[in-house]
Amino acid sequence: MASTSQEPTSTNPRGIPTFPFLPTPQDYIKDSTVEATLNRFQEMISKYNFMSQNVERRAAGLREKLPEMKKSLDTVKFLRMQKEGGPDEGDDDEDEDDDAEGKEGRLDVTFPLQDTLYSHATINTSQLDSVYLWLGANVMVAYPLAEAESMLADKLSKAKQSLRAAEEDLEFIRAQTTTLEVATARVHNWDVGEKRRLKAEGNDKSESKDADGDGDD
Amino acid sequence: MMLSRRVLSKEEETETTDNEVTKEDQEKINEFSRLHSRSKVIEEELEGKKKEKEDLEEVTTELELADEDELVRYRIGDTFTHLPLPTAQKLLEESGTEVDSEVSRLEDEISSMKEQMDALKAHLYARFGRGINLEG
Repeated sequence: MASTSQEPTSTNPRGIPTFPFLPTPQDYIKDSTVEATLNRFQEMISKYNFMSQNVERRAAGLREKLPEMKKSLDTVKFLRMQKEGGPDEGDDDEDEDDDAEGKEGRLDVTFPLQDTLYSHATINTSQLDSVYLWLGANVMVAYPLAEAESMLADKLSKAKQSLRAAEEDLEFIRAQTTTLEVATARVHNWDVGEKRRLKAEGNDKSESKDADGDGDD
Repeated sequence: MMLSRRVLSKEEETETTDNEVTKEDQEKINEFSRLHSRSKVIEEELEGKKKEKEDLEEVTTELELADEDELVRYRIGDTFTHLPLPTAQKLLEESGTEVDSEVSRLEDEISSMKEQMDALKAHLYARFGRGINLEG
């Protein structure tokens, strides 16, 4: 549709086209008819809606992934804390030998083996140097704790950024749809006013292409 | 919210103004629309955080009654770690402060959005009267 040639079609940072605001309703209609213009608007609204649904789905996917990434990061952070706070500190704290299992450098955990099945493990935190991160594509890589932490933190912040970008896209699309809806109302109102004027002048040249004519007073 | 597309009754029509929509109006309408949908998203997020906060508070009270000699199974990620009570309480407190600051951040954001929306509403109703509907 090469119709809105007045302004070069601008887009938002991710390539979603802007629907331009034009000063008067006639600017939208130009040498087309009211009906054709309104149909064109309707078509553009459905295109924007389609885009919006896609972005919404992407955002939902990210929102689902974020808590998982946060969990991994929390776990690695915790392991680091255990390791660093473990062996050399706590001698003269009240860490006496009151807990047989709380021996320094040892951590007991109950971990999920399957969705509803948990098992028991003891981690020797003093010798814990690395964790295995699942990178996808059936690849798992051992990372030193500090490196794992910074990588997970980085991934998390990137995911947050793309979620924010998706949300911005949705807001942008919404603004375009709103402009279109307002444009629809403006063109329609202009048409009604125009018909009334013609009728009042007594030379209504049956320009009733727009069928819901309420110009009856 | 949009410029109403239904046919207005006569009385309603006299309450509308004949003001043409200017670019500035359009920007205000879009901004209102943006704030409106964004506030919905933030409100939902806030609900979730508030629930989390309540849960954490509940656990905190619960732990006060716990046996000091027994290890607490504290959940980190998907794993339950067996921790001495003081450590668990410390971690819990940290999560608590984190959630608290999130909650107040979101609340601030919502109230500033509400203010902006009220200002936009006042302006747009003054210009268009019944010809515009900014609710819901």
